[in-house]
Amino acid sequence: MKSAKNVYGVLKVGTVAIALLIILVILCLVSISVGSAGYSIPEILQQITKEGNNPVKVIVLNLRLPRILLAIMIGACLSTSGALLQSVMKNPLADPGTIGVSAGAATAASTIILLFPTMTGSLPLFAFGGAALACFLIYSMAWKQGVDPTRIILSGVAINSVLGAYTSLLQMLNSDSLQGVLAFMNGSLSGKSWYEVRILAVYSIIGLVLSFGCIKSANALQLGDEMAKSLGIKVNLSRIILSAEAAYLAASTVAMVGMIGFVGLVVPHIARILVGSNYKVMIPVSILLGADILLFADTIGRSIVPGMEIPVGIVMAVCGGPFFLYMLRKKGAHYGN
Amino acid sequence: MEINGKNVQVLYGDYIAVKDMSIHLKKGEITTIIGPNGSGKSTILKAITRLLKYRKGTVLIDQKDILSFGSKELAKQIGVLPQSHTAPPDFKVKDLVGYGRIPYQSFGKKNKEEDERIINWAMKTTGVYDLREKSITQCSGGEAQRVWIATVLAQQPEMMFLDEPTTYLDISHQLDTMKLVKKLNKESGIGVVMVLHDLGQALEVSDRIIVMKHGEKYAEGTPEEVVTRKMMKDVYNVDCDIVWIEGRKKPLIVYREI
Repeated sequence: MKSAKNVYGVLKVGTVAIALLIILVILCLVSISVGSAGYSIPEILQQITKEGNNPVKVIVLNLRLPRILLAIMIGACLSTSGALLQSVMKNPLADPGTIGVSAGAATAASTIILLFPTMTGSLPLFAFGGAALACFLIYSMAWKQGVDPTRIILSGVAINSVLGAYTSLLQMLNSDSLQGVLAFMNGSLSGKSWYEVRILAVYSIIGLVLSFGCIKSANALQLGDEMAKSLGIKVNLSRIILSAEAAYLAASTVAMVGMIGFVGLVVPHIARILVGSNYKVMIPVSILLGADILLFADTIGRSIVPGMEIPVGIVMAVCGGPFFLYMLRKKGAHYGN
Repeated sequence: MEINGKNVQVLYGDYIAVKDMSIHLKKGEITTIIGPNGSGKSTILKAITRLLKYRKGTVLIDQKDILSFGSKELAKQIGVLPQSHTAPPDFKVKDLVGYGRIPYQSFGKKNKEEDERIINWAMKTTGVYDLREKSITQCSGGEAQRVWIATVLAQQPEMMFLDEPTTYLDISHQLDTMKLVKKLNKESGIGVVMVLHDLGQALEVSDRIIVMKHGEKYAEGTPEEVVTRKMMKDVYNVDCDIVWIEGRKKPLIVYREI
């Protein structure tokens, strides 16, 4: 591996990308065969190609495959969203939660599930709207002759806590019907079908393609506001466009499967440690890495305890934290200096 | 190219940082703005380069209002190296210098060969070509400063603005940076406008010096005209002598013993 490293200890993008792709393929194969009923790959292939319906075919095609695709798309979207926000805020702690996406979606979702249960069918729409509204609120509060990252973060903290208090109160008052809310808060891929896959595919493909258009301004913002400005970048406009793009990506996933924390925060950092901070390579690597990690977490979550599902959000936090600390100590010796 | 600032006033909230200042800058010259801390020298530099909004007055580039320039269009005319700039520690020198080409790139429109040629030229001119594969943190302070100057140079501006380019550098790198500025000005005719704290260096390299005090212009002229005992007393409240030494083209400032 020595030869693949450049002077800074950053790995070559090609090497990393191919490795991540291979891991993704392996994870897909593992994920499709494990579960409460385990099948071998040849068995699956044999059954799928058969005419008519059989249990293996139903489980693999209608339950596992859509779930795998969802995990891949969600991982990709959330990591890209986090990566963009970390450039916008010039802050390593920025993630989709910072700009109110999670709190906004949670507020809307709790309101619908607890107060207007008849409208639960349109939950994704309301969650998306809530996320967008909270994000808009935070940015308009932070606006003062431009958007300053510190002001965004601070007004984010304020609005997140107000929304959090409202959500908590609502839950306390309706503590007998919390199941749906809890499922939303701890983002789970359980029971999702091709319906969600199709919708999210449209949203995420548009979002991910657009994110490649953000690379140049995301890079320039890392050089400091004045430097970016003197290079001809419209700093305020770029911040808003990048934030909107990040909010859109995160809100799309939250609307479909609920809140999954940690991916948006940690994946961009691991990507940075692997290939460096240039968004030209960091975004594609974040996309692949996010897909890998979320698929891994979801597969663990649904197979580690037989007969029980651990929501992917919880697995992410439990496995992701220690792994990130390991990366930070082992590989990121210069990182954060 | 000429830059004309007329009656420029800049406020920070209620505080008047620059009162009512006119400033005239020409291509081909090295102009240095000096003055004590808080005299408004960085502020006026930012105002005439549109990094900061001014409350009153106008700034014209060749008779055209600076506010009417598109942001990329402006970045091709003037390049600014602000005092505060950062780069992620793993950014490579050649990539960083490459950002100087942003004003010439738009979505889907990029002249790769031309960009590469100018990036290489900027790195060679500033003497950082051999460092191109290194990351910015592997460069010394002086090298890093030259890399940043190369980034501005890659914008191919007619005038270059440097805000305290020698602060935080040791004396040998300070002198290197000054030599580089002088060389760039001589060889390519680029106009240079600097804010400097070191009066000795200002004397040495400038064609023209602007002295600021309390947000206003105190004096303007050639180094010899401007740097006098009276100015030093009035502006900095410092006692000194201006001494000429045989064999040196510029005088020296000798401060009274402490």
